[in-house]
Amino acid sequence: MKSRIMMIVFILVLGSILTAALVAVASYTTPIIQRNEALETRKSILEALEIPFGEDDIEEVFAGNVQEKKADSIPYYAARSGDIAFAYAGPGLWGPIEGIIAVGPGFETLTGITIIRQEETPGLGSRIGEPAYLDQFKARRFADGLRLVAPGRSQADNEIDSITGATLSANAFIEILNDALAQKVPVIQQGELQ
Amino acid sequence: MKGQSLKTFVNGIWRDHPIFSMILGICSALAVSNKVENAIAMGAGVTFVLLATGLLISLLRKLIPSRVRMITYMVVIATFVIIVDRVLKAAVPDISRALGPYVGLIITNCIIMGRAEAFYVQNRLGQSLIDAFSNGLSYTYTLVIVAVVRELLGFGTILNFRVMPQGFTNWVVMAMAPGAFFVLAVFIWISRSIAGMEE
Repeated sequence: MKSRIMMIVFILVLGSILTAALVAVASYTTPIIQRNEALETRKSILEALEIPFGEDDIEEVFAGNVQEKKADSIPYYAARSGDIAFAYAGPGLWGPIEGIIAVGPGFETLTGITIIRQEETPGLGSRIGEPAYLDQFKARRFADGLRLVAPGRSQADNEIDSITGATLSANAFIEILNDALAQKVPVIQQGELQ
Repeated sequence: MKGQSLKTFVNGIWRDHPIFSMILGICSALAVSNKVENAIAMGAGVTFVLLATGLLISLLRKLIPSRVRMITYMVVIATFVIIVDRVLKAAVPDISRALGPYVGLIITNCIIMGRAEAFYVQNRLGQSLIDAFSNGLSYTYTLVIVAVVRELLGFGTILNFRVMPQGFTNWVVMAMAPGAFFVLAVFIWISRSIAGMEE
């Protein structure tokens, strides 16, 4: 009986101490992590809008060049050039993929796409995040939806080359982008008119 | 005492090598060994958690009731892994992003659980820390060896520097999970032959 009580006491004490340690670490790191994430989002917006910045002046460049707006509770970001950026998110093959899409002033072509977070297989699916892959989205028209074709076969202005060994991640990525474009662009376009 | 420490160290790094002798930690060794930088970061994370777990378990070894010792290891390991994850996210967000979900996977690394049960719960602090360090080192160097082969053949690079000539065709299979099975099996075969281990 005594050993049982000792066992429960031990678990309770150890559990409380470790929980306290976790709470301490969490309360210390949470604000820093949130600041890092906010900074990361701003950096990604600047990259998508192709506004040059340095690692140390992200905040200043963002404040000076980008206007934060809202249309029907969808936040979006307008650059001086007339380009519009907004966030997208959706399920990849293994985990969520999140990032920023930028479109030109006429809401017809893409001007840039960045990925903030993805958990695809390193070296395979993760290659959807490489600049060389994301660069091919520039100047593509999205009115009829983007289409994924076999590597090296893209011709029409809405076709994107897939990646060998990353077919499923690339498929998921295109689907996320098409969903986000179809959902958000009309709303933002409406918002800009008003 | 000094001889004992040396023996503990050599056991961890060679005789009782966690991967080729005990076949522990295979899951993560397969998953993160496709690039050398991932292997190094994962090795460092596992080594830190091993040291922290060794420290706490060997200090508490006389207090831990034997019926709940497994739960105790699990809770201790999980706590340290979460701390590593949070600290990496706050201090070095770039590395944290590169490691992605693998930091969380340290919790399920059997090397830590295995060493806690086999060693830290029965040995004094000093020996436990030496054992933790040598096991962490073994895990890291094994991952790096496997990753060097896989990254070289799968991507033609080492630590992202181009090594193979431009015309080299990447062996895609090496970057994928089956490549890890091939390379790790060959590694285990060679090391077991050298160590003279027979079934």
